[in-house]
Amino acid sequence: MSGFWSRARHHTGFLIGATLVGVVTLAALVSVFWTPHPYDDLRMALKLKPPDGSWLLGTDHRGRDVLSRIMVGAQTSITVGLIAVSIGMTVGVCLGAWAAARRGWLDELVSRFNDLLFAFPAVLMAILITSVFGASATNAILAIGIFNIPVFARVTRGAALTMWGRDFVRAASALGLGPLTITLRHVLPNVASILLVQATIQFATAILAEAGLSYLGLGAQPPVPSWGRMLYDAQTYLYDAPGLAIWPGLAIAITVLGLNMLGDGLRDLFDPRLRLMRVG
Amino acid sequence: MLDFLLRRLSAALVTLVLASVVVFAVLEILPGDPALVMLGTEARPDTLAALRAKLGFDRPAPERYVSWIAGLLTFDLGNSHAYGTPVSKLILDRLVVTLPLAAMALSFSMCVAIPLGVFAASRRGRAADWLVMGFGQLGISIPNFWFGILLALVFAVALKLFPAGGFPGWGTDFAASLHALILPALSLSLPEIAILSRVTRSSMLDTLREDYVRTARAKGVAERDVLMRHALRNALIPIVTIAGLLAGFLVAGAIIVETVFYLPGVGKLVFDSINNRDLIVIKNVVLLLTILVLLVNLIVDMIYVMLDPRPKVQA
Repeated sequence: MSGFWSRARHHTGFLIGATLVGVVTLAALVSVFWTPHPYDDLRMALKLKPPDGSWLLGTDHRGRDVLSRIMVGAQTSITVGLIAVSIGMTVGVCLGAWAAARRGWLDELVSRFNDLLFAFPAVLMAILITSVFGASATNAILAIGIFNIPVFARVTRGAALTMWGRDFVRAASALGLGPLTITLRHVLPNVASILLVQATIQFATAILAEAGLSYLGLGAQPPVPSWGRMLYDAQTYLYDAPGLAIWPGLAIAITVLGLNMLGDGLRDLFDPRLRLMRVG
Repeated sequence: MLDFLLRRLSAALVTLVLASVVVFAVLEILPGDPALVMLGTEARPDTLAALRAKLGFDRPAPERYVSWIAGLLTFDLGNSHAYGTPVSKLILDRLVVTLPLAAMALSFSMCVAIPLGVFAASRRGRAADWLVMGFGQLGISIPNFWFGILLALVFAVALKLFPAGGFPGWGTDFAASLHALILPALSLSLPEIAILSRVTRSSMLDTLREDYVRTARAKGVAERDVLMRHALRNALIPIVTIAGLLAGFLVAGAIIVETVFYLPGVGKLVFDSINNRDLIVIKNVVLLLTILVLLVNLIVDMIYVMLDPRPKVQA
């Protein structure tokens, strides 16, 4: 691990990525206890104020502080992204590891299931879910989570299959260990780094998807601020307050860029030969 | 080749049948009473019963599924609950916006990404390469709808070169309609350009290492011809595959970008149908978009076979 950190200190991409993600996470954490102004205070007299000393990024069409809303919006993005990726990872890793351990018809079934999910982009999935169950952050999480399942299932299956061909796994099998024990003791620990890298990249994709869904009104509902919805509202005031359309987008771009750079950096540091899946 | 394509076609058909079952189950079985979803919980029992009878929700689910699929085959998709017009006509009217938009975005991405990737590969490790790679990293990190808003801010609000939204219609004013699609297509193509230029670069770097490229150079073939004639042709195979995978991106992107630019396309139709709780339209459009994604992947498979005529061992 000390080797990892000494290499990490010289990897520019990793450092930039980690810093960007660190800043956004810090903003989200701080906003739990403190924001420059209450994020949902309506002050119509102060609406569409340009940035100044006390309103660093100005106010929106309802006189709410944009900076405070962006900080709280970071909480929404990170929460939705984290839970969605965890759902996708838990189910996907189980399916992928199971398919690799048992092969045969089960493997075929998991592959077909993956193909099916891949045919539905996250937005279509979300549309299906929200049109029946209504728009909410929970349903957005569910949609993004379901979309993440095949990504993790494929990556896990591919990496686990390689492990199953290795001598130490064969030896464990010859010793009479069952597929579950081998998977838990030998296969999964050896594919963990690949999964961590993939999770970072999927986190970035999930944040983009959440922004898209909340832009369409299918994500977190008011009064909870979300970056995507802030952009939707800003569009009405493009002529009067163009800044409103810039800050939330910049927040999304910084977070996603940070996570992507962090993911690429982790991949380089763990194993430069790893290949990632990028699907959105 | 025929065998390979047949296998792909049957796999796509299986996926399609499964997708239709999922769409049907989510929209018509999971909610219990689809009529209640469409009218809301405040609806009077007699109105609910009337809608159930009108849309056939009182029939058993398997029967409804079969008649939906039978209708799909003859393109009789029923009537939209919100618009009162046939769903097939609604979709066709919207496709004339969405298909050109997607085609335009795809051509933009190909025209920009491939030269950019080839250029970066030929300047490997130099400033130009870093710039292209940096652009790629940025391109996949910027949400395309935000890029669309930024384009509107610069080219519509500040420079007044393009409309900020709306679509006059091909019949009303062809040139203005084409003009109205440029900004949306540009914003739709941003992530594609970013991904494709990275794929082109790495695929070119792989082929540039091959022996035949070295031979061509040793024979004194001009560098430009080495890149374009010898390396690019073989580098195109993974590029086409990835471009096909991005079809899903285009579909998902179109739904949001059409909303950003107020374009009356299929994406906007989906968006409006969610607000109108028009399950009939959503059901058909979602399946249609899935068919489009699968179709594009099939076409890509065909191009793939044409580019790489070696027999395929596995599907």
